[in-house]
Amino acid sequence: MTVAPPPSPTRSLRRRILDRGRDQAVPDRAVLVLHDVTKRYPNGKIALRDVDLVIPEGDFVFLVGPSGAGKSTLIKLLIRDEIATRGDVVLDGQDLARLPRRQVPRMRRKIGIIFQDFKLLPTKTVWENVAFALEVTGYPRRGIRPAVDQVLAIVGLSAQAKQTPNQLSGGEQQRTAIARALVHDPRLIIADEPTGNLDPLISWEILQLLLRINELGVTVLMATHNAEVVTALRKRVVALEEGRIIRDEVGGAYHRED
Amino acid sequence: MISFLFFSIRRAWQGFWRNALMSLAATATMVLMLLLLAGFFIIQAGLLAGLEFTEQKVEVVGYLHPNVSDRQVSTLRAELEAMPQVDTVEYITRDIALERFRERMEAQGREDLTQYLDSNPLYASLEVKLVDPSAVRTIGEAMRADPAVRNVINIEDLVERVLTVTNILRTAGTVLLLVVGVIALFIIVNTIRLAVFARAEEIEIMRLVGASDAFIRWPFIFEGAFVGFLGATLTLAVLAAAADPLSGFMVEFFRVLPLEVGSLTRDLVTLVMGTGVGLGILGSRVSVRTYLIR
Repeated sequence: MTVAPPPSPTRSLRRRILDRGRDQAVPDRAVLVLHDVTKRYPNGKIALRDVDLVIPEGDFVFLVGPSGAGKSTLIKLLIRDEIATRGDVVLDGQDLARLPRRQVPRMRRKIGIIFQDFKLLPTKTVWENVAFALEVTGYPRRGIRPAVDQVLAIVGLSAQAKQTPNQLSGGEQQRTAIARALVHDPRLIIADEPTGNLDPLISWEILQLLLRINELGVTVLMATHNAEVVTALRKRVVALEEGRIIRDEVGGAYHRED
Repeated sequence: MISFLFFSIRRAWQGFWRNALMSLAATATMVLMLLLLAGFFIIQAGLLAGLEFTEQKVEVVGYLHPNVSDRQVSTLRAELEAMPQVDTVEYITRDIALERFRERMEAQGREDLTQYLDSNPLYASLEVKLVDPSAVRTIGEAMRADPAVRNVINIEDLVERVLTVTNILRTAGTVLLLVVGVIALFIIVNTIRLAVFARAEEIEIMRLVGASDAFIRWPFIFEGAFVGFLGATLTLAVLAAAADPLSGFMVEFFRVLPLEVGSLTRDLVTLVMGTGVGLGILGSRVSVRTYLIR
């Protein structure tokens, strides 16, 4: 019986595709740990209270809760747009509060982030939008073309590479954003309401794509209001309300089921 | 490092043309402000030259006793020339004084009355030109103290009053130039701010995908420098085109003034280029900073 070598936590996307199916045993290593996190804004509003959350490598987590429950604040803490007032936010072994400002950009390359409003540059083509993420982070120029071509193939946009965002459908725009999020070979994909602007059919398409990426070994954290999707997929669900985690169950639905 | 530089310059160039309207608006503002600044600078240079011209006219004239020996004169002259405030000392003998008087009468078209005199009634004098007109009192007193000097025309009070006026004008000119400079600074920096603001989304995306501050900042700084350079070049082109017709009626004015056109041109090019490129860089830096501080 041959035992596959344990996959390195930093193996490349290419590697993951090649190894696909071979390493179902995902190492039990936390990508993200929140311990006792409280966030109080300067105006006195407390957005998060004593939040504890552990997301292991390879997990797929839905973050649900009404508007104002603290989902956006949580995501801001993860990308270090904000710093926790109290508690630790540890991403891939690094405590974000203690991370020097200069190292924040490097840390952000470990996270791919996707938004409801796509945040694509309208003057650039699909290909350029994805390549942009590599260019502005000092990626070696020769490596850009193969990396971009590869992620565009993953999201199924190779044919649309030369089009600009306004020539694309909403779903295609979101897939461009996903390609851009993937191009740095991230440890974690954060999707903030990725289907908020899309019709149900296209939403399912985007979900399928995120699930496929998750199968490739990328951890996914998706904040959403889409109850249908959450309930149907039976993934891990973390529910926030008034800044607290009120529910954290594997195989959960959008609403509490008692 | 080289590739980073190359990247920044390429991105700056792209940034300029992809937002051509904003960039050209910033450049146009830059040109107008630099023209304003250059205009005031030229006026200031003219004013300073005019004041200097006036001040150079100040000289202390000491009339000598008729019976002083040449030796006494040359001793006094050497003493005066040794003083640091003194520029030149000219000895006007009685003959020269008479000749000058006649010339002046003739120039005024008046009859030369001296021909009816048996002897020359004029005194010999020493005309002292000063390095700094404010030394007029010191020199005047030094001359009065010398036994060879008969009298010194008292121009001290007048000179001091004139100096007060010229100093006020000089300060006012400098203040005005500074005010115009500050106005240009704010308007240019604000225009560039608007141009950068129009690209806030691009900066936000750069931050989200993990671009370091340097990668975000430098393309904008190069772009600002480029806007500044372009604006300064256009301004200088406008000034060069306007120089000929302007100097047509200014030439008389400038001829009498101790104004060196060569050095004025050089100063102007330095001022316009320096201000343009400097403010372009400053504007970009300040504007991008807003987005980087977190």
